[in-house]
Amino acid sequence: MMHPSELLSALLDGELSERERTQVNEHLATCSACEDELNGLHFARAAVRSLPLLELPAGSRPAEEELGDVVHMTRRPPVWIAAAAAAILALFVGMATILAPPTTLEVRLDQLSDQYGARASLEPAMTPRTPMPVLERVAGPIE
Amino acid sequence: MPDDAPLTWEEVARTYGRKIYNFAYRLTGNAHDAADLTQEVLLRVRKGLAGYQPGSFEGWLWRITRNAFLDDVRRRTRKPTAALPDELDRLSSLASPAPDQVLAKVRLGEDIQAALLDLPYDFREAVVLCDIVGLSYDEISATVSAPIGTVRSRIHRGRKMLKERLQ
Repeated sequence: MMHPSELLSALLDGELSERERTQVNEHLATCSACEDELNGLHFARAAVRSLPLLELPAGSRPAEEELGDVVHMTRRPPVWIAAAAAAILALFVGMATILAPPTTLEVRLDQLSDQYGARASLEPAMTPRTPMPVLERVAGPIE
Repeated sequence: MPDDAPLTWEEVARTYGRKIYNFAYRLTGNAHDAADLTQEVLLRVRKGLAGYQPGSFEGWLWRITRNAFLDDVRRRTRKPTAALPDELDRLSSLASPAPDQVLAKVRLGEDIQAALLDLPYDFREAVVLCDIVGLSYDEISATVSAPIGTVRSRIHRGRKMLKERLQ
């Protein structure tokens, strides 16, 4: 068998098949270079494993109340970003209020129906050829 | 590791929070970054648990952990003014308090941590997943999306480099 080099770490970790383990052990019995290498690998493995398992610092676990708001949790933006966002939002809301058409189509049609209905009662020639659906809904007496 | 039903988020945090922290700390050497990463991973777990399909829970968890770590590294390297994790790590690891340990032990622990940080990332990650987290080669293979032969090679070469630096 050639020097099994990469199999030596796997041997330490119990990650070889039965057949591989037998072959590597047979080789080790006759090869001092590989035995030295195995000792060095064992030293490095033991060194890393000797590092203490550190305690999780307090505050590293998201608190329950924070978990309710994942956006808030992840990376809290600076206060000035929040303030800027609020100002931009307020601006948009204000513009929307000024520029946007009446809130719903239904309301507008109702207003139109009142307007056209009223004019139609005075000027019959202006009555639409095909009645608007909304006029059917307000087909009661026109004030 | 058994294929298992997902735990509740509380159980995941209780069972794995410390391991995730140690994984991050040994990769970076930086307590603050490791704590941030642990919090980020637990959030991702919280969001992902609902969609978790029964299978290898640890494989799923460590993939999330690894991805969060790599995302963090990428985010830092995009910022020209931010120090790279290794630079930060070396500075802060010197200040890591360990009052209950004798000086010789602290020195040894620091030497091991410094030797870990000198390894190329792929080797360091494989060694930490194996010797700190305690995953099998199969589990590491699934976590880092690399063939098991590659995992075996990375662990082996990582240990050889560590031995050269420490002896």
